[in-house]
Amino acid sequence: MKVKINGKLYNGNTGETLMELAKRNNIYIPNLCHKKGFEGQGRCRLCIVEINDGGKTKIVSSCVYPIKDGIEVSTNSDKIIKIRKNIILLLLLRTPNNDTIKSLAKEYNVDIHYKYLDNKKKENCILCGLCVEACDKLGTKAISLVNRGTTKKVSTPYDDASKDCIGCAACVEVCPTDAISIDDKNGKRTIWNRTFNLVSCSICGKYFTTYEALKYTDDKLNIEKENQICNSCKRKEISKKFKESFKNTY
Amino acid sequence: MNNSNRKILVCCGTGCLANNSFEVYTKLKEKLKDTKIAVQPLVKATGCNGLCEKGPVVKILPDDISYFKVSTKDVDAIVEKTILNGEIIDKLLYYDTNEKKKLISHKDATFYKHQQKISLRNIGEVDPLLIEDYLERDGYKALRKVLFEMTSEEIIDVIEASGLRGRGGAGFPTGSKWRTCYKYNNFPKYIVCNGDEGDPGAFMDRSIMEGDPNTVIEGMIICGYAIKSHKGYLYIRDEYELARKNMQIAIDNAKKHGYLGENIIGSNFDFDLEIVRGGGAFVCGESSALMASIEGNVGEPRAKYIRSVEKGLWNQPTILNNVETWANIPPIISNGAKWFKSIGIENNSGTKVFSLVGKVKNTGLVEVPMGTKLRELVFDIGGGIIKDRPFKAIQTGGPSGGCIPKEHLDISLDFDSLSNIGSMMGSGGVIVMDDTTCMVELARYYMEFLSEESCGKCTTCREGIKIMLEILTNITKGEGELEDIELLLDLSETISNASLCGLGKTAPNPVITTIKYFKDEYIDHIVNQKCNAGICKKLTSYYIEEEICIGCGLCAKKCPTNAITGIKKEPHIINADICVKCGACFTNCPTGAVKIGGVVVESKN
Ligand SMILES: Cc1cc2nc3c(=O)[nH]c(=O)nc-3n(C[C@H](O)[C@H](O)[C@H](O)COP(=O)(O)O)c2cc1C
Ligand code: SF4
Ligand code: SF4
Ligand code: SF4
Ligand code: FES
Ligand code: FES
Repeated sequence: MKVKINGKLYNGNTGETLMELAKRNNIYIPNLCHKKGFEGQGRCRLCIVEINDGGKTKIVSSCVYPIKDGIEVSTNSDKIIKIRKNIILLLLLRTPNNDTIKSLAKEYNVDIHYKYLDNKKKENCILCGLCVEACDKLGTKAISLVNRGTTKKVSTPYDDASKDCIGCAACVEVCPTDAISIDDKNGKRTIWNRTFNLVSCSICGKYFTTYEALKYTDDKLNIEKENQICNSCKRKEISKKFKESFKNTY
Repeated sequence: MNNSNRKILVCCGTGCLANNSFEVYTKLKEKLKDTKIAVQPLVKATGCNGLCEKGPVVKILPDDISYFKVSTKDVDAIVEKTILNGEIIDKLLYYDTNEKKKLISHKDATFYKHQQKISLRNIGEVDPLLIEDYLERDGYKALRKVLFEMTSEEIIDVIEASGLRGRGGAGFPTGSKWRTCYKYNNFPKYIVCNGDEGDPGAFMDRSIMEGDPNTVIEGMIICGYAIKSHKGYLYIRDEYELARKNMQIAIDNAKKHGYLGENIIGSNFDFDLEIVRGGGAFVCGESSALMASIEGNVGEPRAKYIRSVEKGLWNQPTILNNVETWANIPPIISNGAKWFKSIGIENNSGTKVFSLVGKVKNTGLVEVPMGTKLRELVFDIGGGIIKDRPFKAIQTGGPSGGCIPKEHLDISLDFDSLSNIGSMMGSGGVIVMDDTTCMVELARYYMEFLSEESCGKCTTCREGIKIMLEILTNITKGEGELEDIELLLDLSETISNASLCGLGKTAPNPVITTIKYFKDEYIDHIVNQKCNAGICKKLTSYYIEEEICIGCGLCAKKCPTNAITGIKKEPHIINADICVKCGACFTNCPTGAVKIGGVVVESKN
């Protein structure tokens, strides 16, 4: 399949989305709700591009648009830039104090003195849904997008401390705007209205996860209680072992 | 009187039921039982006659006498006078506002004469719960015809040649939808009926499901047979309890009579139907959200670059059509494509049901040929504006439709003409507005509705509508600036271009069209600080024009706060400090001396 992006021809695979094709070829299309493993949400709308399909032009969101042979894509036409600026403005109106969004606004020259901007607003979540996707993928499903319209938000059932949350912070990891409040203090982690005891690494002694998260992954992978070792120590261990085995053979 | 073939039809649609029509129905039956008549007339409960506002409706056949606003108190008189003696009860007759006289048969009313019924053909004439009534009016004949005489291609050819376009909103050609789905050899396939009917004020789908459920069932089975699907779902709005009940009874009866289920009337074709209760949100009427909801997921739309005819319900090929679309299928099969095409206009065959509401004299459901002029709908069928006030605009297409000003009164009502002027057909809701409607407030109202009904999935729709609402609210409060108009148009462009589903893509329509056709009203609000309709209270004041006032004192009598003073037969005065701007004086002044002014800059003490 041949697809022209910004004037250059690329080979596409059947079933691939425009975003995937662009990424493979190092063409950057701005996006906020798209991440490897969590594709195809189409929430943030930042990834819109203009396509010409047999003479008809239309605007599509590249993260969900399956490519078609012969289409011509423009990722940065004047029209796209104009609309994308407005999308960033809309995000800024929601989260005027968020660094990720503020730097996007700067990059796109969006007027940050817009008269409808309420600078006192504390909101950081842009409802990209990635945290929910991550939690779903783990199988814990502790959080979800609730309500509709302007009252939509990410939440645990009834905003209570979630029974299902294991405190793994995968949601925090994927959040593009650092919107999820997490507090690690004195061997305890508070997240989604719940407090967990943290586990310290048996090698370096650093707190690195919760008991619940450790048990959940152990149970899931069906392994006997492993040593409580953090990821960075684990990596070090492995490379040490690797070096040793290398030494022994040669 | 000869009662051997007499029928008394009592409307038991939702509207009439709310006005106790069921009590009228039972009382009529009891009364007749107690009355010594050799042959008892047949009393039937029917679906909505489309004149709910004048309900309960009772029709007597074959005499063709129709009574309106019937209460249980009238039952004795109906039996004793009309049934036994053939006398007509004058006070229950229909009053035709156009002809300014009472009519014995409502079919002679201007409201009816301009109508042509295809999808509503049986409603009000049959008892929806009796399959026998449907069969008597050629029901399931089209099904018999396709099952024993037609191939899939032949069926699809007929639907395609008829030019039928989907009645649920976008007007997509039904035949071509069926053909694409037919081509996919990926089984199972599904058939879905969209009975979500989210547009406020629209009630044609409800009336069809309540009043003639069998026609929807028959349409769906025909499609199932054509595309080789064996399972259909009826997605019915959460609030539509009676529609769900009547539909379920009709499904059960169709099964009992062999029209549904296994080996339908000995044809070897199996088809089953299941009712799904709607998710209760406006957006659930959107096809992909609706399917997500049937699958048990959150009713959020998805991108439709791969269409549901290829991957719909559970990723299988699916045909989704609107209730009214389904109701057109059996007559098209029975009477042929040519017949259907001969009704309506080029590219817009057949009829369309409109629900006419707002400031018109006759409100209700009307089915007219496509291409009927808007003027005819408002002034002939609708009987004109209440109190003969000036016509200002109509709004079509539901909350995200557009406003049409009087310059376009002669527009033809069809899919293409409406979208050419920035509005749309939508499901056929038509709201008539007079000079007491403020167009800025109207746009604000729709943005408020949509901000609550947007699913909130995508940034542009969720945040965009919210900010548009904020800007419009400011304007109605007198805090707008001229540049806000450009801002609204700029945001509209972003929202309609970059939103994911049809809700967001069409949401700015009310704002775009009111700015296009009523820009001076925006300017009046912003620059002159004045709401000419007297709706935006912050920008409204009332005063009495001395030269016109005859000093009758009616305004003073109606004023709830005693803000009006004056001596009889001399001009009266409104004290702006006490006035609460209720507008009672304005609507009650017999000479039109009460005028609407803008903001009172400073009131004298
Ligand atoms: C926000 C939104 C709401 C909708 N609501 C309805 C509805 O209540 N009923 C309906 O039949 N179609 C509705 N539609 C249109 C459907 O998505 C779909 O196009 C239609 O049901 C297809 O049937 P048709 O081809 O027979 O018209 C809606 C569309 C959108 C974007
Ligand atoms: S909390 Fe973060 S990851 Fe979750 S929806 Fe909001 S912005 Fe996205
Ligand atoms: S356009 Fe609006 S209703 Fe449609 S998916 Fe986006 S947020 Fe939801
Ligand atoms: S608008 Fe109402 S309160 Fe004001 S003067 Fe008229 S009747 Fe009285
Ligand atoms: S990345 Fe495509 S919509 Fe968010
Ligand atoms: S319900 Fe009786 S006329 Fe509508």
